[in-house]
Amino acid sequence: MLPIVRVLYSGLASATRSSRGALHTASVVRCKAEAEATDEKSSEATEGEGDGDQVSSGPDPKDRTKNIPVETSMRYLKSAAYKQTYGEDFVWTQYRRNHKGMFAPRKTRKTCIRQGRIATGNPCPICRDEYLVLDYRNTELLEQFISPHSGDVLSYSQTGLCQKTHFRLMVAVQQARDSGFLTYDVPFREYDYNEYYGQNEKQKA
Amino acid sequence: MHLLRQLRQVNGLRSLRQATRQVATGPTKPATLQYERDPQPLFTDAETQRLLQSMTQLNLDRVFRKRTVPDNSVETKFMTDEQLDSEFQQMVERAKQRLQMPPIVTIKKDEERIIAKDPALKDFASTKYVFTDITFGLRQSERKVVVRETDGTLAYATLETTKRMNQLYFPLEGRQSYNPRMFLLEELFAKCLAEHKYEFVLDRLLVQYEPHEPEFHNISARVFEHLNESKQFDLLRSTRHFGPMAFFYAWHRCIDDLLYDMIRRDYLSNAVELIALSYKIHKVPVEYLPTLAQLDALQITPAQRALAELRSVFRNREENQGIEQEIHTAIGKTEQDFAADEVSLKFIEQYIASEHALKKVQLELAVQTLKEVNREKLLLFQGLKKAHGVQAS
Repeated sequence: MLPIVRVLYSGLASATRSSRGALHTASVVRCKAEAEATDEKSSEATEGEGDGDQVSSGPDPKDRTKNIPVETSMRYLKSAAYKQTYGEDFVWTQYRRNHKGMFAPRKTRKTCIRQGRIATGNPCPICRDEYLVLDYRNTELLEQFISPHSGDVLSYSQTGLCQKTHFRLMVAVQQARDSGFLTYDVPFREYDYNEYYGQNEKQKA
Repeated sequence: MHLLRQLRQVNGLRSLRQATRQVATGPTKPATLQYERDPQPLFTDAETQRLLQSMTQLNLDRVFRKRTVPDNSVETKFMTDEQLDSEFQQMVERAKQRLQMPPIVTIKKDEERIIAKDPALKDFASTKYVFTDITFGLRQSERKVVVRETDGTLAYATLETTKRMNQLYFPLEGRQSYNPRMFLLEELFAKCLAEHKYEFVLDRLLVQYEPHEPEFHNISARVFEHLNESKQFDLLRSTRHFGPMAFFYAWHRCIDDLLYDMIRRDYLSNAVELIALSYKIHKVPVEYLPTLAQLDALQITPAQRALAELRSVFRNREENQGIEQEIHTAIGKTEQDFAADEVSLKFIEQYIASEHALKKVQLELAVQTLKEVNREKLLLFQGLKKAHGVQAS
């Protein structure tokens, strides 16, 4: 089964290197190939489901029921497949929202994933790539969404994340800060020495 | 004065609080080194403070590094030289304020202070009542918090309750009402230390805990111990934590690694100050005051140096000084610096030869290499001066 996927991958990659969306699909497929190499059993199960669902072979690309562990995601962010897909950019830089008219709606969509499947044609930067897992340990991903100037989480109007994912991102960043995975500038605390040493010591010093 | 009462759902919360308290005292390993007697008199001593401030140094770029705070705006202004000079002075003052060292005090013990026992009030309610004085402008330690127990006793609240009430009514920015997981879980804390996030850990510690709490002592001691092993002292230089760190090492007789680092980086006067501090703390009968006085005469304080560096923008006008200045910047040292180095090297060698030094070989080697480098620099310095004809004038 693995060679088939490889062939599929290379064909896709060579045919549609110019198109952004297609590139992304290529990386996902390749990643899946890697993941399947590690555990043969589960991959065969998903393939069976995919066959029943779709005419073409291979798993359903819109399926999001599979739980990807954070460790895999962290490895993915360092891999060549990730590099090929996003290059040096952040995962959200190349994303564009679809909307009618000149101005985008103020809020992004509520969610991209409904009933375990991608329910939209233009899912948000995190939802479109199932190997980007939001977790407090995944610092490399979280750092992409933090402003280097103010230290805040970037707004969804800038990153284009759907509301649910944005909320999960905020939670993950707070957890990461609380556990010391992400550092931030702690507010300065000024001490009143009199409070600790009393008046006499202050005069002596 | 307002008395405000706080009702607690004791039955629901008691079990939860007990659980968190167990966690709070449990996971982070206790530090091996603790202050065994009150360090306060020695720390607040004017001379100790001066030594520690001098050791901390003052690197303006480091003190005013770009912080990720909500307002990061920059103001651009046209100024006359006088205005600029006063601005420089204010800047150094502000930097000194940013380097204020956190106080070192002993751990405060919780003592039970009962005000009144009123058995008549027994079972008046199923919960405790906490009364907090929320008068504006009181200090945290002055604020009165009392508890009426269900059995009718009226007593002063424990330190933990007092702190929680203070945080509830007068929140300190950055402090959490819970213990951060970073300090609670051993593996997370160890991870922070392994990644050398010392400054972040210590900054957060200051905000989260009071200096008299056992957690404060424990965590800061563990950070300093880890630093002593990883030898990344430069990460804390020019921060408010350097002074307490040096004081901690001097107190526990483990200054040798820090001393080695200072010699290697050519901060010889700091090394002398560190040795003097350890002599002072342990009352070693060695005369260090004359050496310090000599160094003071030869060198300027870090604040003055920072100010002089800022003022160097004014100085380009006088031609003759220009050449001398250029030689100094090329070598990095002035004549006075060489003289000061000689004095401090003598003192350091005396220390290495004594029985107080533990890593003699390492220190000796460092001193040797430094001496050679210094000799070469001195030769170059004299040669340059001769070539420019500065010495004659």
